[in-house]
Amino acid sequence: MTEQKELNVEDIRKEAEEKHCPAQKALYYVEKFLDTLMCGKCFPCAFGTYEARVRLKNIISAQGTATDSALLRRIARVMTEASRCKRGKDTGRFLLEWIDTNAFKAHSERRCPDQECLAFIEFRIDPDKCIMCGDCQAVCKFNAIVGEKKKPFLSGYLPFEIIQKRCTKCGECVPVCPTHAIAKVELETEKEVPV
Amino acid sequence: MEGSMSNTVKLTIDGQEVQVPEHLTIIDAAEQVGIHIPNLCYLKGMKGIGACRLCLVEIEGMRAPMIACNTRVKEGMVIHTKTEKVQEIRKFVIDLILSMHPLDCMTCTKAGVCNLQKYAYEFELKESSFTRKTLGYPVDEANPFIKRDPEYCILCGRCVRVCKEQGTNVLEFMGRGIGSKVTTATDKPLQESACTFCGSCVDACPVNALLEADRWRKGREWEYEKVNSVCLLCGNGCDITVSTKDGVIQKINAGAAPGSSEQYICAYGRFGFDCIEAETRLTAPLKKVDGELKETTWEDALKIVSDKLKKAGKEAGFISTAGIQNEDALALKKLASTVVKTKHYDSSLSLYASPESLTESQAADMDAADVIVLVGLNPSQWERRLPALDASIRKRVSRGAKLIVVNSSETRLSDIAAVGLGGDEIASLKGLAKALGHKSLKADRKLTALVKNAAVTEETEKAADLIVQATEPLIITSPGFFDAAANLTLFKGKAVTAGLESNARGVALMGMATKGRTYRQMAGDGMKVLYAVGEVPIQERPKADFLVVQHSHLTALARQADVVLPSATFLESAGTMIDYLGRLKYLPKVIEPQGQAKNHRDIFIQLAKKMGATIKRPTEAEVKKAVKVKAKQPLRPFARKEGLEISPDAFIESINASVINGSRLLWLKEAEQAVTT
Repeated sequence: MTEQKELNVEDIRKEAEEKHCPAQKALYYVEKFLDTLMCGKCFPCAFGTYEARVRLKNIISAQGTATDSALLRRIARVMTEASRCKRGKDTGRFLLEWIDTNAFKAHSERRCPDQECLAFIEFRIDPDKCIMCGDCQAVCKFNAIVGEKKKPFLSGYLPFEIIQKRCTKCGECVPVCPTHAIAKVELETEKEVPV
Repeated sequence: MEGSMSNTVKLTIDGQEVQVPEHLTIIDAAEQVGIHIPNLCYLKGMKGIGACRLCLVEIEGMRAPMIACNTRVKEGMVIHTKTEKVQEIRKFVIDLILSMHPLDCMTCTKAGVCNLQKYAYEFELKESSFTRKTLGYPVDEANPFIKRDPEYCILCGRCVRVCKEQGTNVLEFMGRGIGSKVTTATDKPLQESACTFCGSCVDACPVNALLEADRWRKGREWEYEKVNSVCLLCGNGCDITVSTKDGVIQKINAGAAPGSSEQYICAYGRFGFDCIEAETRLTAPLKKVDGELKETTWEDALKIVSDKLKKAGKEAGFISTAGIQNEDALALKKLASTVVKTKHYDSSLSLYASPESLTESQAADMDAADVIVLVGLNPSQWERRLPALDASIRKRVSRGAKLIVVNSSETRLSDIAAVGLGGDEIASLKGLAKALGHKSLKADRKLTALVKNAAVTEETEKAADLIVQATEPLIITSPGFFDAAANLTLFKGKAVTAGLESNARGVALMGMATKGRTYRQMAGDGMKVLYAVGEVPIQERPKADFLVVQHSHLTALARQADVVLPSATFLESAGTMIDYLGRLKYLPKVIEPQGQAKNHRDIFIQLAKKMGATIKRPTEAEVKKAVKVKAKQPLRPFARKEGLEISPDAFIESINASVINGSRLLWLKEAEQAVTT
């Protein structure tokens, strides 16, 4: 029997707070709770957390709507009032703490102010800065960068570009570029985000 | 808890002042004044578990809402059951449940009596605001009794708790949270589990997840006419509710009050009604012509029988089962003694009981008994030997009553007994009486003398202590031990005999005790005319010159008879019966008899007319007059009545052979045989 420290709500809360984005915090908490501590006996908590996970996933993957947030608020409120035990009530309270923050609300406007939610950003290569060295292409594990390495004596080349469909936003290419040509861009505002 | 005179408390619910007994929960108290608090996981009679959270109510002075199913009322409480907060919570929970429930009200069998439908209507929920979830669990409909459809299950847990409380423990939750499923151990189909198909889960389920397997397209719940009746198939005499549509029986449910420990009916009672239209059902009188049974008219059959009875006179013999109604027994007695003037009549109860053990059995209330002493009986739901007795004792014990088992062999109920007294039952009862005498309970001097030399063990002392501390001890005994067991009531409590047949007590009280030759003797050799009423458990034709069988079905014995008269089943004939606890119960005429069948007393009255005499139709007053319970119990010998040993299992099966072979219960018999071979 391996020695495992007994998990409680405080531990899950602490782990969740290590994230920056409130939506990520909430999702982490809910998922951990569902997997471990939830007893599943009373309806508001058992069914409510399952539903909350579905809605939070929607929000984090940039598919969230106002309905999702409204329903989350409703779930959290009822869980706080009606759960059978303190764990369910604490989960409800935790959700309520973060749902009404500006950072969370921004997700419905397709922005993640903490830049932790990958669905809201894109990595792009600035063609003005790119020197066509090909280092980023060599590093990319997913073959998401297309382009031809520039040979000194040839002309006519394929510019370097990141194929967004393939890009998993792992960020490996950014530090490799000698001219810092790869930038993280927020989709909604088209503004560059410091890496 | 329930026996003592409880105080009442005054409180206010929704502005209405009410006065209720102090041990009630808020949900029961509200029900008493007509206020319904929504609930899905609450079962009357059992402790509330607070799983569904629908019954939350706001109490003034308490910060958070409290569940009504598990909070006791207190003097001066002010309760609001419909505040905005709790209504929002209720709407939320119903909404969530709807998101995982098939929106099938159009064709669902439960429409009209579905709790979920009722609450969705109340909260104006057309569809769910949440994501639709289906878990895709398969349906279990491999048996002809109960269909389990997990898609409709709302995970309230009522079926699990009901099955656990009565001791069968078949259903359990598998998994956790929204993905959990109510199923049998290792998810096997019902017939491969220990399920006895009693259907208590079907009665408990608030939605369409558990239902009778043949309900599809058999009409909507609101098209049914419901009547309360009594099952006469075995010595329990359970209350039933029969639903009919267009004069045909559609289903039978347990009929005792919700919350009573006697709310139970076994597979025989619940599903045996198919036999009413079985192939073996008799619809016209038959007479034997050249060795074969041929249909004939009532005129003809009655004339033949009355002629034979007139000629036989004193040497005619009448035997009947004890499953007939009181009025039928009275009419039979009148026919035998005043019209035919025979010297011999008896009923099958003489096989297992002396008449006094039944006529002097007392009246008692199972739900008020806090100590139950079981003497010489081994009821079992699994072997269908007085199953309702087994279930209600288990329920009483789980609700706080204590069980004392007095039996020389092993019984399954000993598992939950507080004290088990093994060895010879008479010795144990003597010891118990002696121990009770020591504990400063008033004792008869003669009784003390009788038990002077009895042995008292530690177990006997424990049992005596329990009885002394009890408010209403109840002794349930097999007929052979009634004399000794009833002696205990001279100290305290009541004693009842549990006979094997449903109306054994009534038939004995109506006077069908042995006169002249006994049942066994008449079933053996030479009566001039032998007249058998009901499904008498005789396989071979007795050596009688002329045999008449009067029953609803063509039994093995009837095939060998000279004249067969078709009678009505207990669901086709209005009458009364007296159950083992001494209650007079009414059976209405639920449906018309099949074909030309008549009920027993009509046949006797017409026979008498053919013989030139009149029997007046038995009235309720006559029945009530014959039912008198002696107030003071005499001292009886501490001895076992001999000659009453028969196998209860074989007996109960043989008096119900037509029911089993003529209905889907035959599947059960074959399935159970397959398991044992």
